[in-house]
Amino acid sequence: MNQHVKNVTPETTDLSRRSFLVGTAATGLVLGYAGVPGIGEALAAAPANFEPSVWYSISPDGLVTVTCGKADMGQHIASTMAQIVCEELGAKWSDMRVNLASNDPKFNDPVLGAQITGGSWSTMMNFEAMSRAGAAGRMALTEAAAAAMGLPPYFKDELVVRDSMVSHPKSKKQMSFADIVKSGKATKTFTPDEIKAIKLKTPDQYTMIGVSVPQLDIPSKTNGTAKYGIDVMIPGMAYGAIVTPPVRFGATVKSVDDSAAKSVPGFIKAVILDDKTQTTSGWVVAVAGTYANAKKAAAALKISYEGGPNAKLSSQSLLDEAKRLQGLDDSGQFFVKDGDPAAALGTAAKVLEAEYTTSINIHAPMEPMNATAEFKGDILHIYSGNQFATRSGAIAAGAAGIDPKFVVMHQMWLGGGFGRRLDADMMVPAVQAAKAVGKPVKVIYTRENDMTMDFSRPLTYQKVKAGVDGDGKLVALSHDVVSAWPTARWGIPDFLTPSVDKKGPLDSFTVNGSDFFYTVPNHHVRAIKNEMAHNATPSGQLRSVAPGWTFWAVESMIDEIAAATGKDPAQYRISLLDGAGKNDGGAQRLRNTLLAAMGLAGYGTKKLPKGEGMGVACVSSQERATASWTACVAHVAVAPSGEVTVKKLTVATDVGTQVHPDNIRAQVEGAALWGLSLAMYEKATLKDGGIEQTNFDSYRPLRMSQMPEVAVAVIANGEKATGVGEPAVTVVAPAIGNAIFNASGARVRALPITAEAVKGAMKA
Amino acid sequence: MPTLTINGRSMSVDAANDTPLLWAIREQLQMTGTKFGCGAGLCGACTVHVNGEAVRSCQTMVGDVAGKKITTIEGLSAKGDHPLQKAWIAEQVPQCGYCQSGQIMQAASLLAKNANPTKEEVVAHMDGNLCRCMTYSRIQKAIMRAATEMRTASAAGNERRPT
Repeated sequence: MNQHVKNVTPETTDLSRRSFLVGTAATGLVLGYAGVPGIGEALAAAPANFEPSVWYSISPDGLVTVTCGKADMGQHIASTMAQIVCEELGAKWSDMRVNLASNDPKFNDPVLGAQITGGSWSTMMNFEAMSRAGAAGRMALTEAAAAAMGLPPYFKDELVVRDSMVSHPKSKKQMSFADIVKSGKATKTFTPDEIKAIKLKTPDQYTMIGVSVPQLDIPSKTNGTAKYGIDVMIPGMAYGAIVTPPVRFGATVKSVDDSAAKSVPGFIKAVILDDKTQTTSGWVVAVAGTYANAKKAAAALKISYEGGPNAKLSSQSLLDEAKRLQGLDDSGQFFVKDGDPAAALGTAAKVLEAEYTTSINIHAPMEPMNATAEFKGDILHIYSGNQFATRSGAIAAGAAGIDPKFVVMHQMWLGGGFGRRLDADMMVPAVQAAKAVGKPVKVIYTRENDMTMDFSRPLTYQKVKAGVDGDGKLVALSHDVVSAWPTARWGIPDFLTPSVDKKGPLDSFTVNGSDFFYTVPNHHVRAIKNEMAHNATPSGQLRSVAPGWTFWAVESMIDEIAAATGKDPAQYRISLLDGAGKNDGGAQRLRNTLLAAMGLAGYGTKKLPKGEGMGVACVSSQERATASWTACVAHVAVAPSGEVTVKKLTVATDVGTQVHPDNIRAQVEGAALWGLSLAMYEKATLKDGGIEQTNFDSYRPLRMSQMPEVAVAVIANGEKATGVGEPAVTVVAPAIGNAIFNASGARVRALPITAEAVKGAMKA
Repeated sequence: MPTLTINGRSMSVDAANDTPLLWAIREQLQMTGTKFGCGAGLCGACTVHVNGEAVRSCQTMVGDVAGKKITTIEGLSAKGDHPLQKAWIAEQVPQCGYCQSGQIMQAASLLAKNANPTKEEVVAHMDGNLCRCMTYSRIQKAIMRAATEMRTASAAGNERRPT
């Protein structure tokens, strides 16, 4: 792994080191935490146009522009940040605007200390900081208004702030935010302690949180004006089309013959990438004046490759290797180590053993990967929609051979993220091509490049052994998870987790979810890195990451145990969610959520025709500490041929506090349909070291005609707001698998589920 | 140099006849509302109208549309207020939004011919348009809402017309 990557361990952020700024500038009122020393200052000193604003500013015309440090990939997080600020600030929603942050560290996540968007973390981790920023602004504006109205300072408690207006009902005086800003009197500053001491609204005082306000980004997404990375136009820029090798990773270029490409009009150069960042081995960029001609030139290049160490590998080789590793006693590290499952299995009345697999899956956001790079003076400007500006800026710097502090990342709307844009491979061809031709270059992946070079959800293999006592009580569970390690690839130690057995850090993004809230006295989880898969199919974080496979195994196995002990699978789960010990709190919330889904679906009350069935699953995705409690009842029909029709998905989710109810429903529905798509339709395969699927004819995400009825119940019980972008992805596959069993007696253990597998598993 | 008629304006584009219309519109004429998704006619993100028919601009060559009437999302309505665009906002359809220009253009070609489609007709017409955020149910609702508005508007228009 390259040194630049190692150097970007996110700075830990300590809010107490920051003071909150309120000040009037020529452009209006600027509010936010002062940046910690670092890249920001260095950059701010260099280009004159580097944006100095922080969380939000209010212009003299009263418009409040919130700068969102989170990547907005359709979860409307920019609008959500504005909504949280707006609540405490007391602004009118129609005055709110959003702006996407650059990679200046002052826009780092206040909890994570870096710019990274994932894990369904954003709302929960920014809620308080944005609330306090909004409240501080309201206090500053109120004080300034009191002064401008000629009221003594102690009158400020009599002022009412609403709809961007500060009014004093007794004297009938009022002043708009715009006029206060124009007065130049809002100059209050807050120490960190003062910020911490601000009394925030209680939920019963909310007028914005919990309201489905119109999302600020939506109009621009109905008329073609929203700008995504692919839409960036830089004067004088050239275009790059990439040629990727037949092997996913590890091939190298032996030679490039560009003689035919030279006859393409506007062809400039073929650039062989120097793969310093271990993401683009064997890639070549054809640069030309237009994209159409860059593509023609790319097609005309004659490139010969050295296939490298992975050129013979297939999905089967990765699976065989996973099984071999799982069979070794000393493989992997422990993520959970409670009690002694081996001993408990030895004395159990009944032991169940099963293998669960998931295939390679491709993100395939609708906007193919792209980036535009421009060297301007000492500064490298990158234009691209990206989920991890902190690391991606460093990758771009590594590709350019410059210090990361000279990289400015210009964030754009993301045409889908789903974890794909946590990676920065697209920066490399843009940067190196721009450097090679001395012009700004926009590189656009073809869909074929995008699919075959995805940082995919890894192929996973899981072995689960369960032991029950004479009463059918689950006494032991041993769970091995073998996969490539997506997060280990980042080379950032902070994102890895110490193993329980102190055998070095493990990638918890391969095992999250397996540390469930069921009470099982003897419970082991081993995280085993499949080095072969790790090298051959560099993996990434695909929407929901580990819980997308761990709950497939856990929630299928719980069902298998219930069936083997003659218990109703939903009631069996409820008995395991007893809230004992460390599971107190979470277990009860998950139980309640499961009950809500059961009620909404008519589980156990609805009479179903022959060949139809319902299955349940419940999950604590994404991570134990950040769970949104989610349950699903799937209703399926299974034909004698094994063909499965998913008729309805009923999803309940406990999100604590809902900022925007309509958005939560949209996210939960989208996530549930992702879960369905991964469960039934999406499968990628490796052959001769390359991904076989190249476009939407062979890799087939869910289409409109395949959509079942989806019912969503959102539980908002006043607990802290949790994330909703991912959890519902993880609950659907096991619910469907369990429903198939309920309908037909066929147990499926491999994703995606095929008619063949269902038919094969039916009892004759 | 082919001349294209896009959104009622005549524009010449410095591109060979075998250049996909998509790239001429987006990168040369810099009308970026039309999106690139697959380059193979499999996803619908690049949908535009040629003489009122929805076509995939990635599969349509510049040389084949000279002299024809091309409409992109930017030209669907003067102020972004086509009934479908209004319905898309009312139903809060877009998530990432990237496919939505194509979805709206595809839907517009349906409603232009059939202002009272059944759900089945909507699905059949829209099934070639992928939405990776899976906003399909809202797309359906928005199309039905726009259809209702168009029928109401046309009924109101008919009433005012002297008979």
